[in-house]
Amino acid sequence: MTTPAPKFAGAPRQVVEPPLARAEEFGIHQRLTRDGEVIGDDPTIDVAVARRIYETMVTTRLLDERGWELQRSGRVEFWIPMRGQEASHVASTAAYDPEDWLFIASREAGAMLWRGAPLVQLFAQIFGRSAEPLRGRRLPLLFGDRSRFVVPCTTQVGAYIPHAAGAAWAAKLQGHEKAFIVFFGDGATSRGEFHSALNFAGVHRPPILFFCQNNGWAVSTPNSVQTATTTFAEKAAGYGLPGVRVDGNDFLALWETTRRLRERSLTEGPTLVESVTYRQGFHTSSDNPDLYRTNEEAEAWAQWDPIHRARRFLERHDAWDADLEEALVSTKRAEIRDAIHAAEALPKPDPSDQFFDVLATPDRALREQLAQLTDDLKGAAR
Amino acid sequence: LSELTVLESLTAAMADAMEDDESVVVLGEDVGVSGGIFRATQGLQQRFGPQRVIDTPLDEKGIAAHAVGMALYGMRPIVEIQFSGFIHDAFEQIMFCASKYRWMTGGEYSCPMVVRAPSYGGIKGGFWHSQSPEAYFTHGGGIKVLTPTTPDDCYHSLLAAIADPDPVLVIEPVPLYRSLKGHVERDRRPLELGRSRVAREGRDVTVLTWGPQVLRATEAAEALAADGIEVEVLDLLSLVPLDLDAIVASVQRTGRVLVLHEAARTGGFGAELAALVQQHAFGYLYAPIERVTGHDVPYNFSTGDEYYRPDVLRITAGITRLMEFEF
Repeated sequence: MTTPAPKFAGAPRQVVEPPLARAEEFGIHQRLTRDGEVIGDDPTIDVAVARRIYETMVTTRLLDERGWELQRSGRVEFWIPMRGQEASHVASTAAYDPEDWLFIASREAGAMLWRGAPLVQLFAQIFGRSAEPLRGRRLPLLFGDRSRFVVPCTTQVGAYIPHAAGAAWAAKLQGHEKAFIVFFGDGATSRGEFHSALNFAGVHRPPILFFCQNNGWAVSTPNSVQTATTTFAEKAAGYGLPGVRVDGNDFLALWETTRRLRERSLTEGPTLVESVTYRQGFHTSSDNPDLYRTNEEAEAWAQWDPIHRARRFLERHDAWDADLEEALVSTKRAEIRDAIHAAEALPKPDPSDQFFDVLATPDRALREQLAQLTDDLKGAAR
Repeated sequence: LSELTVLESLTAAMADAMEDDESVVVLGEDVGVSGGIFRATQGLQQRFGPQRVIDTPLDEKGIAAHAVGMALYGMRPIVEIQFSGFIHDAFEQIMFCASKYRWMTGGEYSCPMVVRAPSYGGIKGGFWHSQSPEAYFTHGGGIKVLTPTTPDDCYHSLLAAIADPDPVLVIEPVPLYRSLKGHVERDRRPLELGRSRVAREGRDVTVLTWGPQVLRATEAAEALAADGIEVEVLDLLSLVPLDLDAIVASVQRTGRVLVLHEAARTGGFGAELAALVQQHAFGYLYAPIERVTGHDVPYNFSTGDEYYRPDVLRITAGITRLMEFEF
């Protein structure tokens, strides 16, 4: 008998039990069991809010599943899956007031849905159509919408963390009662801007939560290759800030923690939150997780699925049942289908569009390049 | 009308803008209590308070990045980079964040912020304290690059930068901060961007330049006038936007062009100017475009100021080559 060759070279990648299974030991704040039973005090969350969070999570997952199919069938050029992270971003967004500012990363479609963005707007962005707030200029799923106080990330992971902190600082300097949250991943904590933002924030105390969604993997890089610290939350100590770990697949723990820390941020300043979650899917449609992680690991995390736990919570509180589930899923599937059809039919941006919004008013160089391109295209048309 | 140094003109512009607009704030290393290492912000914190003139941690990337956020929120931050040799840590924030927000958000968000970059050699500062980084920031779009020299131009350029809806980099002439004094029309009116200034008129050669080299070119021109060579010196004032009309008009009159800058030669902004001149005034040229620039070597502490920066000798030699060229 021969020992099978290790599947992965380099850093050891053992299948580990999700830390959520031993939350207390790992310093992770948890309010729901794997099957949605409340741990500790009775929750104060309004059941209607809990339901809306759940419905938004489900819609996010349906959108994600359909989007993945669109990418695989060639209708959408790129996809960034968010499966497994629905509670992490939806419940934390829900804890914020509608006019608070969100700085989102790339797996937060649910934040846009929570803020009321119509599905057709999201799919217009996904298809790169100009009839969406950002004029369809960016990769699918890099959403933003000023009217909903959602600022899109710049694509360099983590580079925008201090933008959020700077905006929060500006609001504080101007005496505005407004809270801020910025979403980023575990990989972003290695960037200089993570340090910049937390270092400045320790001194100047802007009203913001640094919300690190630790989904275990930065493309193929596991936590153990990203940092030597045991947790990401403990990095806050280096900046004189509090850091907390929360079960990132537990909508209740997320909502309560974020709500409390949002209030705190307005008077005492920022907190680093580590939302311990898991990216169940690929990094992007260009990724292949088989190269770096085991199916067993993904399956173990799927046992802690955030949507299942939220649904069981609602059922235990007599706020959900199979009929409601069926109605929700069929309605949202139909809405998504209609939104896709409507968005796909929208016109693509004109080639001239790229010359606008570079500067507030195009300068001579831009005007000449546009004129040249227009002339050249006329030639091509002949 | 008052007589101010370059430094005083910059302080005056910031003070006037802060008085007129409460959203204007200054942030940077040592800008508050001490008034900045060059004292460009002297007295501003005492006058406007520590909430508007803010001492930050030592982190150029962090300063620029927080200014981006402030600008996104609607403030008008002015960032002081202590020396432009340290601006490169903030390069990504300036070129791939601040100057791209407007475009990437379809105009939803923008970053009206100012980055002040004390630049150029001449203070015996060695490599990192003698930089001319302007060309890097003219590549890729979304940001304006101003290069004023005289106290009056510095005052009005900085006001224009603060009022501008887009990010603006102001390349400031460190070696002239205290040595150059001049009348400043303190009228609170921003410079109209994209207009150059004829520093000296002449019919034989056009020198395209900016910053302290404007003074050096003028000096060389005066000396050459004794030999009957009349040199026109165009102070470009801003590289983005660029006053192409004035450049072309001057070249059409003189037929000879010297591009003059302190920054290293290869890929410098002079190359862009040469390309534009040949495109727009090819038929008017009597000689190939001449470049007098810094060298493609690091600015050297012991020999830099004399042998790196173009001086009257090298400028004169360049002009002579142009005048003596034969096909």
